[in-house]
Amino acid sequence: MALEEELATYHAKLPALTADEGKFVLIHGDEVAGVFTSSEDAIKIGYEKFKLEPFLVKQIRAVERAQFITRFVEPRLVP
Amino acid sequence: MGPDGPVVNAYIGVSLARFAALTDDGQEPPPPILIHALIDTGASCSCIEPSILEALHLTPIGQVPTYTPSTGSLPHPCDQYDISLFIPGATAATTPFQRPNLLVIAANKDSLHPQGIQGLIGRDVLEHCLLQYNGATGSFTLAY
Repeated sequence: MALEEELATYHAKLPALTADEGKFVLIHGDEVAGVFTSSEDAIKIGYEKFKLEPFLVKQIRAVERAQFITRFVEPRLVP
Repeated sequence: MGPDGPVVNAYIGVSLARFAALTDDGQEPPPPILIHALIDTGASCSCIEPSILEALHLTPIGQVPTYTPSTGSLPHPCDQYDISLFIPGATAATTPFQRPNLLVIAANKDSLHPQGIQGLIGRDVLEHCLLQYNGATGSFTLAY
């Protein structure tokens, strides 16, 4: 699965990150590289710091907020 | 407005941030791809067919749980990608709509294409716009 290590880092660090609920965290491997007010800022800094290496941008939510699509589409996850 | 509803032509490209990273790495960024996208107030986020994302050589940048009619009562994890969105103005003199670094999710292969579209413009984009749907005249306006 893509970003497996980064997602594990997110879940491990979530208790400490919830002080920034609603902001966007940037994670590379097991490193939390920053917390930003917008996803755009996190993406920009992610590419500046890690170039074309994989990194995760995720909104910090103690209870994860799902997306809803009422049209018939199948969500896709890279194996 | 055609029989498929409020559909716009939109160009999907790599995000501005990725464009800069590719250029710095000496790579030529892939050109934007023209798609037909349905304006969908029932989508909380925008959604793009994976063949478009693959043609742009994108890899996931996030993951989010997603409910659709196909997922039933449990959300399914769905990859997120960073793209740029460019919707040309109605005329050459009209300012285009642009989001240079937008997070979208990927729909599974073949779920959008049979519907005659390659993407959904969701409320994450519409929150920056004024959408007027006039069913009586069969027209819509997307203002920004």
